[in-house]
Amino acid sequence: MSAVEHQGVALGDLEQAELPVARANRRRRPTVRSIGFHALGIVLVAALLLFMIGPLLWLMLRAFSGLWQFPQFLPSHWTLQWWRSVFDDKSLGNSMKLSFEFAPIVTFASAAICLPAAYAFSRLNFPGRRVLLVSLFATNAFPKIGLYISMAGVFYSLNLMGTFLGVVVVQLIGTIVFMTWIPTAAFSSIPRSLEEAARDVGAGPLRVFFRVTFPLAAPGIFVAMILSFLAAFDEAQGTFLVGIPNYITMPTEMYTLVLNYPEQAAAVFSILLAIPSVVLMSFARKHVMGGKLAEGFQIR
Amino acid sequence: MVLPPVAVVAVFIGLPVGAAIAYTLGKTGGPNSTVALFAQRQHVAHHGVTLGAYREVLGNAHVRTDLWATVWVTLVTVVCVVLLSWAIGLYLRLSDTWIARVVSALSVVPLFIPVVIASYAILTFYAATGFMKTLAYHVGWHSFPTLGYTLTAVVIGEVWVNVPFGVLMMSSGLNSVPNALIEAARDSGASLPRTVRSVLLPMNVIPTVIVATFTGIYVLGSFTVPYLTGPSAPNLMGVSMQQFFGSFNQPQQAEVMAMIVFVLAAGIGTIYVWANVRASKRASSTT
Repeated sequence: MSAVEHQGVALGDLEQAELPVARANRRRRPTVRSIGFHALGIVLVAALLLFMIGPLLWLMLRAFSGLWQFPQFLPSHWTLQWWRSVFDDKSLGNSMKLSFEFAPIVTFASAAICLPAAYAFSRLNFPGRRVLLVSLFATNAFPKIGLYISMAGVFYSLNLMGTFLGVVVVQLIGTIVFMTWIPTAAFSSIPRSLEEAARDVGAGPLRVFFRVTFPLAAPGIFVAMILSFLAAFDEAQGTFLVGIPNYITMPTEMYTLVLNYPEQAAAVFSILLAIPSVVLMSFARKHVMGGKLAEGFQIR
Repeated sequence: MVLPPVAVVAVFIGLPVGAAIAYTLGKTGGPNSTVALFAQRQHVAHHGVTLGAYREVLGNAHVRTDLWATVWVTLVTVVCVVLLSWAIGLYLRLSDTWIARVVSALSVVPLFIPVVIASYAILTFYAATGFMKTLAYHVGWHSFPTLGYTLTAVVIGEVWVNVPFGVLMMSSGLNSVPNALIEAARDSGASLPRTVRSVLLPMNVIPTVIVATFTGIYVLGSFTVPYLTGPSAPNLMGVSMQQFFGSFNQPQQAEVMAMIVFVLAAGIGTIYVWANVRASKRASSTT
């Protein structure tokens, strides 16, 4: 399960208006300006560099190393041969292809299932609305591996074990919170008066939706789709349980790669697997970092 | 319109969890009939229910050490994540220099990296030939422990994965504390630690509880991090669950472990709900 998937829980109220307090705080914040405090910050930066970035850099070096002996800080011989061997390996190529099939299918299936619901949650007031919205949260309230084990048990009876559809379902579960909560907030942030104005000048309901509502909600929907795509793309443990031996995606391939291949090949594969995450998250970064997380979590 | 996602959750979460509860209690019919066909060492209840599967799993010494390892790793990870994200969140609240911007950028890096890769990177970083051993060797610390394939590595991995969420929550919580309150405390002569203790800490309880509970549930449900970075035994329940299901062909025992983890998570969830209820009560009594 990816970090993003787990964080997604927090993104519910992302698109909503910023709290006035937070806005005021940004203008003129009390800051500590002592030398000691700055020194503390430098120590923090150094620790984070070591702890957060160190392992990633160390792994990247490995992808280019021909000969690297302990206790040297760098390889003594550099090579690109591991890149060739990964690209030549048929099963690795296959898993890349599979990953790029599953993730878009899951994303669009999730959008088709969840977006109408998101619109209804934001625009219609029906009994049990809040309960239903929170119930979708069940996907994130269960410890993931326990949930997947329970699902796998029933998947045998549903004929979903080892099938394409079974993998789609497992990955879909991890996208539901993104695809409902973020678009719900996006739709809710559109003033109803805009839609009413369009209707007053004679636009039909469909036209209002596609010309007014949808374009305004599009950025939120786009972020939800990016996060869903990544959640599906990076999902490993459920796919591993349900998909083997027929469907081995890139992240599940990593499990075997780590055990059965040279370290350098696993390092090359890691870099390849990280590229979509890094690129797509960079698009969604601004929204994820928004900093309106806490409110979405408070039960009211 | 709201039916499709609710139906998906009901069919693919509600039904399996319900069926799993029945199966662990010895009910092998209905949705469990296929899995029951090939399962080894099943405990079947012909009338009523049986606790045989629970008795067997909890009586297994290996499972018990795994359970303790899970509880230990979860607790240590939660404490580390809460402390780290508090420290980073606090620094970001009280500083607006380039250092703060670097800290904030570094602390969310894990968001961009798939967990599988992070786990593997952490494994090699702390391995016998990894960077930490190399660094220790050069500074003359030859007895530096090899952390790869230990529970410590699992904790390091879990902390790595959970810190961004913690930092985002904490800084959002700390940012909603009005500047005026902090200034008032400082103007009346409170030291920085005092200001933190009596202004920022009490106003940031809920985000702290959220970070702790969600980190706890995440660790309980994790497989990738302990599978790749942890020892073969004892390891976390997530790993042994997968082994019982896949390798030993004992799905009933695996589902019993899933239930144990659910109960632990429910305990954590209760704290979350309790903290929220308490906070909203206090909010309504003061306004």
